[in-house]
Amino acid sequence: MNVEREPSIGSATVSRRELLWQAGGGLGGLALAQLLAEESRAQDTAAVGQPNAGQPELGLGDKGLGDGLHHPPKVRRVLQLFMNGGVSQMDTFDHKPELDCRHGEAIDFGITAAVTSEVGKIMKSPFPFRQHGESGRWVSDVFPHLAGCVDDLAFLMAMASKTNVHGPASYLQNTGFVSPGFPCMGAWISYGLGRIADDLPTFVVLPDHRGLPYNNGGNFSPGFLPAAHQGVIIKPNAPEPIGNLTPPASERITAASEADGLRLLAEFNRRHLEGRADDSRLGARIASFELAAKMQASAPEVLDLSRETQATRCEYGLDDETTGPFARNCLTARRMLERGVRFVQVWSGMGGPAKNWDNHSDIQTELPFIARSVDKPIAALLRDLKQRGLLEDTLVVWTTEFGRMPFTQGATGRDHNGGTFVTWLAGAGVKAGTTHGASDEFSYQAVEGVTQVHDLHATILHLLGIDHERLTFRHNGIDRRLTDVHGHVIREILG
Amino acid sequence: MSRSAPLAVLLVAIFANWGRSEEPGGAIDFQRDIQPILAARCWSCHGAADAEGGLRLTDRDQATAGAESGAAAIVPGDPDHSELLRRVLATEDGERMPPEGPALPITEVEQLRRWIAEGAVWPAHWAYRRLSQPPTPDTGDDWSRNPIDRFVIAKLTERGLAPSPPADRATLLRRLHFDLLGLPPTAGQIEAFVNDPSPLAYERLVDELLANPSHGERYARHWMDLAHFAETHGHDQDRPRDHAWPYRDYLIAAFNEDKPYGQFVREQVAGDALFPESPQAVVATGFLAAGPWDESSLRDIREDTLDREVARYLDRDDIVTTVMSTFVSSTVHCARCHDHKFDPISQAEYYGLQAVFAAIDKGNRSYDVDPRVGRRRDELAAALAELPSRLASQDPSLDDPELAARVAVWEAEWAATDSLWQPLRLEDLVSTGGSTLTSLDDGSVLSGGMRPEQDLYTVMAPIAAGEIRGLRLELLTDDSLPQRGPGRQDNGNLHLNELRLFVISAEGGEEREIKFARAVADFDQSGWSVDRAIDGQDATAWGIHPQVGQPHEAVFELAEPLVVADPTRLRIELHQTHGGGHLIGRFRLSTTSRTPRLSDRSLEPELARILGVAGEARTPQERRHLAVAYLTRNYQAQAAELPPRSIVYCGSNRFVADGSFRPTPQPRVVRLLHRGDIKQPREEVQPLTLSCLEDLPAALAVADPADEGARRVALANWLADHRNPLTWRSIANRIWQYHFGRGLVDTPSDFGRMGTAPTHPELLDWLATRLRDRGESLKDLHRLIVTSATYRQSSSNPESDGQESDGPKSAAVIDGDNHYLWRMNRRRLDAESFRDAVFAVAGTLDSSMGGPSVKQFVQTPGMHVTPNVDYHSADVDGPAMRRRSVYRFLFRTIPDPFMDALDCPDASQWTPTRGESVTPMQALATLNDKAIVRQCEQLAARIERDRPTDPDGHEHAHAAVREILGREASGAEITSLAGYLLSHGLANACRVLFNSNEFMFVD
Repeated sequence: MNVEREPSIGSATVSRRELLWQAGGGLGGLALAQLLAEESRAQDTAAVGQPNAGQPELGLGDKGLGDGLHHPPKVRRVLQLFMNGGVSQMDTFDHKPELDCRHGEAIDFGITAAVTSEVGKIMKSPFPFRQHGESGRWVSDVFPHLAGCVDDLAFLMAMASKTNVHGPASYLQNTGFVSPGFPCMGAWISYGLGRIADDLPTFVVLPDHRGLPYNNGGNFSPGFLPAAHQGVIIKPNAPEPIGNLTPPASERITAASEADGLRLLAEFNRRHLEGRADDSRLGARIASFELAAKMQASAPEVLDLSRETQATRCEYGLDDETTGPFARNCLTARRMLERGVRFVQVWSGMGGPAKNWDNHSDIQTELPFIARSVDKPIAALLRDLKQRGLLEDTLVVWTTEFGRMPFTQGATGRDHNGGTFVTWLAGAGVKAGTTHGASDEFSYQAVEGVTQVHDLHATILHLLGIDHERLTFRHNGIDRRLTDVHGHVIREILG
Repeated sequence: MSRSAPLAVLLVAIFANWGRSEEPGGAIDFQRDIQPILAARCWSCHGAADAEGGLRLTDRDQATAGAESGAAAIVPGDPDHSELLRRVLATEDGERMPPEGPALPITEVEQLRRWIAEGAVWPAHWAYRRLSQPPTPDTGDDWSRNPIDRFVIAKLTERGLAPSPPADRATLLRRLHFDLLGLPPTAGQIEAFVNDPSPLAYERLVDELLANPSHGERYARHWMDLAHFAETHGHDQDRPRDHAWPYRDYLIAAFNEDKPYGQFVREQVAGDALFPESPQAVVATGFLAAGPWDESSLRDIREDTLDREVARYLDRDDIVTTVMSTFVSSTVHCARCHDHKFDPISQAEYYGLQAVFAAIDKGNRSYDVDPRVGRRRDELAAALAELPSRLASQDPSLDDPELAARVAVWEAEWAATDSLWQPLRLEDLVSTGGSTLTSLDDGSVLSGGMRPEQDLYTVMAPIAAGEIRGLRLELLTDDSLPQRGPGRQDNGNLHLNELRLFVISAEGGEEREIKFARAVADFDQSGWSVDRAIDGQDATAWGIHPQVGQPHEAVFELAEPLVVADPTRLRIELHQTHGGGHLIGRFRLSTTSRTPRLSDRSLEPELARILGVAGEARTPQERRHLAVAYLTRNYQAQAAELPPRSIVYCGSNRFVADGSFRPTPQPRVVRLLHRGDIKQPREEVQPLTLSCLEDLPAALAVADPADEGARRVALANWLADHRNPLTWRSIANRIWQYHFGRGLVDTPSDFGRMGTAPTHPELLDWLATRLRDRGESLKDLHRLIVTSATYRQSSSNPESDGQESDGPKSAAVIDGDNHYLWRMNRRRLDAESFRDAVFAVAGTLDSSMGGPSVKQFVQTPGMHVTPNVDYHSADVDGPAMRRRSVYRFLFRTIPDPFMDALDCPDASQWTPTRGESVTPMQALATLNDKAIVRQCEQLAARIERDRPTDPDGHEHAHAAVREILGREASGAEITSLAGYLLSHGLANACRVLFNSNEFMFVD
């Protein structure tokens, strides 16, 4: 057998789709496999016409988790909340009394400068910290609502990044590499597991209502994976939330013109298929129009928040000016997860010097501004997911691209610090109320139980039933992985 | 149709493939049978990177030498004494190989045994072998039209396959148009070609299309995929590159004029150094800068950080990867952290290639479009450069009386307007805030040490008796300052809140403040003009952001001239109370007795001094100094009057510095990074390339290591050398790929051991030598390929609608993926071809060529560097929309969602092969995209204009099928289509046809 055609997803039992990937060098096989990537393990296998021999069904009606790609999964879907700009860990979750003691002192950290500024004096957090819940987690007053959820969360207190610059660091957190062009985690998960529902995309991105994050779409690119795995950007706060979901307004374009048009298209395509039936791409494209029509029918319902109760709207802060836009994204995310979107990524903060978590100038004013906008919606979302039972097979991950410095930048700001930052997880497979790792006395460097994004990614894939070392794709001469050549599952936080 | 048929066919094809090498009797082929086993099961421990137990199984010499255990893994001809075989058959732990995973299947063991028994033939890797033209097979068939076909039919016959019949003329015409031009034929062209009685109609058509300028546009787009060309930086600060497009026009012209391939290669790597007189050769180096660039890391963060150094290595990695994967299909980038695991490429070779580009950055370079202007500019530059040595050597021609007369005229003009600033000698430097102030030789003062939030600098300066009318403050750059200053703030800025001047009386020593009347600066930050430094208010100040990294000056006119009778001292206070470390980094103060004016920047202190000396008192050398100053200005003025230079974004060390991003005069030191880790730098490396080629050494001869251009020239010559087999095989394979949808080697940018082997190695070598030895002409190769019988075959499979039969094996069973070309491959239109074709059919395509890229989006200023880009609001009828897709402005992190859905790459990575995905999002895009829907309306309007009355819709239906699908419609089609268009309009009917598989695929 040719080396080039080795299974790209190592598995004890070669699955139907892997077999197709093996044959994927061929033009016909590839197209079919690509469409399957959106379909496999879903209930609708009719479109590809193969009896579902020995395959677990993971359709919507099926609550089971199945056997997983490499081992039994704990998680079916993932929600990632990405705080863009670098959340200040010692002003939120990483309580450091030493900063209070040494406030205003000049401490030699062995560096002459941070990434954009000179080393300032030690700055204590301007926000009071308190212990919360059974677990007694310290949380600062910038997160009053999230503080009430700490017993559901598992904290990684010693995340570290190998870069201190937004662009590379955002790529690293999303794709495992500091350079552009690599597939993000959502695309890898789509590639590995395929879709749950056939009327919604597999991987959805909900950007901050003010704009895209650093690197724009680069953070949710499918990289060199087939385009089928790209994140579909949905902007619930925009007039047209999904691009090209509907035709442009025109008096000749009506519901009837569209329905009749699809029928006419199918008729032309069927006739064209005569003498060409061996080309699976042609059939796949016919099916793609059927799937597109299903998506057109389903998407508006998902985005229609008027179906939510007043109590829910209040809970999320949907009608409040500060929390409204992010709440809308959170609520939409929940509706998507419920309806079978596999991976949802919700962003807080846009690229650029302000209106995000990049608080260079003044922690005291900049951090509460952005923290308030997410605190209540995230807390409500966690409670909502729990109440609906979704947390039993959904993983929630809250993260950022790096932390901030314990000393000042200018008078009261903080510069970037890849040395340590905080990530938390909640939901299926996670040991709630636990913490792992610690930073030093100043929260300058991670020192104990240090974890990198590759470990986080390995853990997320593990919970999804995927061995991160065996989910690969050959690109430009290398079998690429989400975790590059790194990554260890963080077993300490697994339930 | 049976829905399971395609899959069943595929499965059978796969098993047929697996079975082939297991057939007994056939000779063992190392490449096909043995290497995959070694790669999958052995190389992770015994490969190029690791040699556990002292054993490497990467070439015959190493595999047959004794390992640490003393035993030889392979004893050719003697399987029983070959350790390898003993170990793969062993069962006990510690003995069995591989130690992990399942044991080797018995079929593989048997293959290894037979291979060793047959002498362990281990040829060099196919791609590295010397390239020579193989003989054309003597097939004696009557199907072949040219040598290509004889290679193809020989393989087909060997496998029990036969070629398909030729496609019909209309199909061929559409295939050829999309293939060579990326555009569909018009209805008129179809009719003319189908009815052309000439037996040479096809050959004539090929010549016409190859001469059509659209051909260059089509192939430039292919090349842009390889180079990962786009027009923004592609990181968090995704800044548009307004001058990247000339490289795209270079590509179009190069393909159209059929530039010899070797020259094409050499120009893109080192055109500026090889052909400095050729503007196009300079533009060609846009290739090196086609990829992304990390502005934050390479310009904005502090220069002294590791993050900056990491970014430099990564940027060179991008350049090395682009060059080596494009030209020689090498995955040399796999050797960044360790020696290449599969190919004979060491880490030293990889970093040696980084050293080739050690002086290269991506930036805007100026060049002259007219070579004559360029020559004149070079002459002037050379004359200017010569002046200092002429002065130093007391060149007698500087004493020429005629020159002296011109100098005198200039001096008179100059003296009438210049302020004759005299630098103050500053002393008693005091910083209240705690900065360290140091006097430098040029009279300036540098601020360093800890940086306080606020500061007050106080300096004293002796003055002679005389009159003072103005004070000048120069802000100077320095390498020690952030962004090179002139301020000490992290962004290079400063704020001067107040400037105060005091004179100390010569007799009593009491102080008197001198007031200023007005102030003017060469640059004022918006809202921070220099008059705010003398307004008496501490809350306002002068600033210079964003013009950091360059010197500035402000001149202050005294309210009353200060007249002193005896020598005394001035005291000057520089108040900087804004906070945030907005302090002056380096400054100099001067006074004048004339009307204070902003100075002539080029007036260095020595010159100012000489000008202050009366003419008759000047020494001869002082007079020569003046002559040189005059000539400097004269040459500069002449240069300024030349036509303005054009700019191209390219790989260069000749670009204008931008803050702390500046060209390096010397190649930077490149070190081998152990494990690719910036914190583990090892020895410095010199330029080096691959060592795996028989006829070419890896060492790059560079006489002067400081000559950065020579480094690239050496690599360019190595790449384009006729003895480099990789280069010629690589491009021959790519050309084949563009015509057939798949190369003879299926991994066109990876000719290493982990790539696929060629299906037709002899044909590949034949094509490569043909290209190399016949004037390096790509068009010759195109012509040969598209006129072959192989290319002209039908794409259909005659048995495609039947079930599998129990009869003789059909072609689809033997070779379902069509590796051996028993038919033509059907192809999905790529994004550009689909879009251009819709516009072309609608009659709205603007065929004008070249020039700045068109923005098919609305661009508004963003919050920071990256602008806001809105594709949805673009004017669908605007001129930008109507240009061919190759002229689209390519925005890396915000790609056009429509093109994205059709697999157009975002240029973050190299794309040797386009995806051909089929997704629901793609269906929504082609159905609903505003621009596409608009073209449907345009086409419908045109058809309706030509045929105003058509009560039953038949005529309109006929016309739509003819225009869009390029053929006559059947009766049944007319009935359906006419019925639809009567209810929903012709535009919607056109929309259906544009979305049909027949339009989207090319047979």
